[in-house]
Amino acid sequence: MTTVDARFYDGKSTQQRKVTIYSESPHHLRVVGEGVDFSCALSEVRPSSRVGNTPRHLYFADGSQCETEDNDAVDEILSGAHTATFDRLLHRWESRLGYVLIALVITAASLWAGVTYGIPALAKQVAFGLPAATDRIIGQDALEGLDQAFLEPTRLPPKRQTELKALFSHMVTDIPGATDYRIELRSSKMIGANALALPSGIVVVTDALVELASNDDELIAVLAHEIGHLRQRHSLRQMLQNSAMVLVFVAVTGDISSVMSLGAALPAMLVQFKYSRDFEKEADDFAFDYLKRHDIPAGSLTAILVRIDKKTGASGNSLDFLSTHPATQERVDRSRGQ
Amino acid sequence: MTNENKIGTQSGNAAASLRFTGKAGEYFSIWIVNVCLSILTLGIYSAWAKVRHKKYFYGNTLLNDTAFEYLGDPKAILKGRLIVLGVLATVSFLTNHFNLHLLGILYLFALPYVIIKAARFNATNSAYRNVRFKFGIGFRPQTGLSRRYIEGYNQTSQFLILPVVLVPITLGLLYPYYVFRKRQFILEHSAFGSTPFSFDARPGAFYLAYFKAFLLFLVFLVGSVITLGIGALPFYILFAAYRDAAVGQLHWKHTCLGALRFDCSWKTRDLFKLHLLNSLAIILTLGLMVPWAAIRTARYQLQGLSLRPASGIDGFVATELEQVSATGDEAGELLGFDFGL
Repeated sequence: MTTVDARFYDGKSTQQRKVTIYSESPHHLRVVGEGVDFSCALSEVRPSSRVGNTPRHLYFADGSQCETEDNDAVDEILSGAHTATFDRLLHRWESRLGYVLIALVITAASLWAGVTYGIPALAKQVAFGLPAATDRIIGQDALEGLDQAFLEPTRLPPKRQTELKALFSHMVTDIPGATDYRIELRSSKMIGANALALPSGIVVVTDALVELASNDDELIAVLAHEIGHLRQRHSLRQMLQNSAMVLVFVAVTGDISSVMSLGAALPAMLVQFKYSRDFEKEADDFAFDYLKRHDIPAGSLTAILVRIDKKTGASGNSLDFLSTHPATQERVDRSRGQ
Repeated sequence: MTNENKIGTQSGNAAASLRFTGKAGEYFSIWIVNVCLSILTLGIYSAWAKVRHKKYFYGNTLLNDTAFEYLGDPKAILKGRLIVLGVLATVSFLTNHFNLHLLGILYLFALPYVIIKAARFNATNSAYRNVRFKFGIGFRPQTGLSRRYIEGYNQTSQFLILPVVLVPITLGLLYPYYVFRKRQFILEHSAFGSTPFSFDARPGAFYLAYFKAFLLFLVFLVGSVITLGIGALPFYILFAAYRDAAVGQLHWKHTCLGALRFDCSWKTRDLFKLHLLNSLAIILTLGLMVPWAAIRTARYQLQGLSLRPASGIDGFVATELEQVSATGDEAGELLGFDFGL
């Protein structure tokens, strides 16, 4: 006959009494020990669920309880009782290596699929479902902030400024939804030859970039790339994707301390790098498409990219994994495929 | 089982150390099944996952060879989460569509309620030897409608004025006092069975600890810049390890349960090694070592805590039981409030 060595607590104090539990009849348990002797119908005993090898508790109707480490014996004497099937299944899942590996594979696969396809697709749906004003709210005051931080007024001759503005206005007339976008010219020591798309519909171009371009086709290519960012609402989508990532991250690593979550944040950061690279590719595709429709060689975009690379001394291949932009070589290759 | 003479040689004043017996492999299984089911059920299972996680950690925390027990009901936690989500969704809807800035008002008026409920839920569902912890003792009796729900509301909201208003106004100078006051507030209203907790630290000690932690934070900032970001992780962990060790020691060494006093031996150096290794392991395995790290952390933290004299642990007496819903607990978690009782 199975007996369980346990400790009895009356629920009124922390006093501990050693007891033995056994099946008195198929439907009754008997608890006997130091100053304790009672029997109890199996149906009135509520067992705690089995979690790993933590001590098990049997709760009795009067608020008293028994506690024991002998989990297997508890399962045996309770086998006739109506115990929670769900808890039993869970414990079985957790205690077989094969099942645990299945859980690992399912988790890894769903996380990978969710992060690679699910979140971006969902963010795209949500972003395009939101009114255009949402982007403007995000981009509100962005230019003022940049002006204060590292942008200075342009030093281009007024004639050139007018030309570029006309060029941009001409471009946006035949891009649907882009008619109210505008160009802002700035100079900046800090960001060098660069162009930025602000969600409020502003494309910022630096003097250094204008000077670096060997012809207007190259500038058109860069501008088309930036307009691509705006048309595809990348800022909004990035915000949505990053917030979704944080939720996934909290769900998976929820039970570790804040110090360690700093370390755990690295995979999340890598995913965010991947997201911005995907956006760059989308913007490139938008630009290539625009260039093709206007009979401008696709090489215009890559030519100026290569020159920016040379100027900043960045290598085209190294750090591809950590870069927010795809490697230039990769973009050149893609332009050939267009 | 005899409690005396277990640890230490002087039987009269022996300390009872806490012990953690969780195993990384065993917890990994529980963790991965939790994560897997939470994903497959789109988050609904996470309430059950939380309970299983807590049951595992409580059940492996031993004081005088007896484990703690977590009694939280997953259904209550799920209900709590849904209510919190509903309220937050409503508020954000109202904010977006009618330009009502309710979040600040919600924060000021709902948070005291949430904190009381969270502390109650956590305490009531934590037990040792079939005696439960309790939160809410010593609150001044209230009169009027729904008296039961607002008991302690005034005290809690007064205590919250500090972080919301005064800490920013003083540029953070009041933060150490707030940490001190928070711990004191929670402990002054907590009990194990009918034995109350007490807290006898002075705010000055918190100022000293946070001042040194602040210096280490400056070291982290300067060090990260000088090493071009490579040193950011170790420098940050050094800062966090010092802060956790210093504040943890202040917290526990001044905490008493009736006539029993806690002691805490956490060291900056140990915590630094612990967190650094944990972080590296988590990074290199893309999160697979999270359970291992959680187990190691719990083991170190609990081994460093003890109660003296050990002989006092048998004599606690329980008080009557009351039901508490989980709403506060979940809101407390969502809003980043952690009451490590």
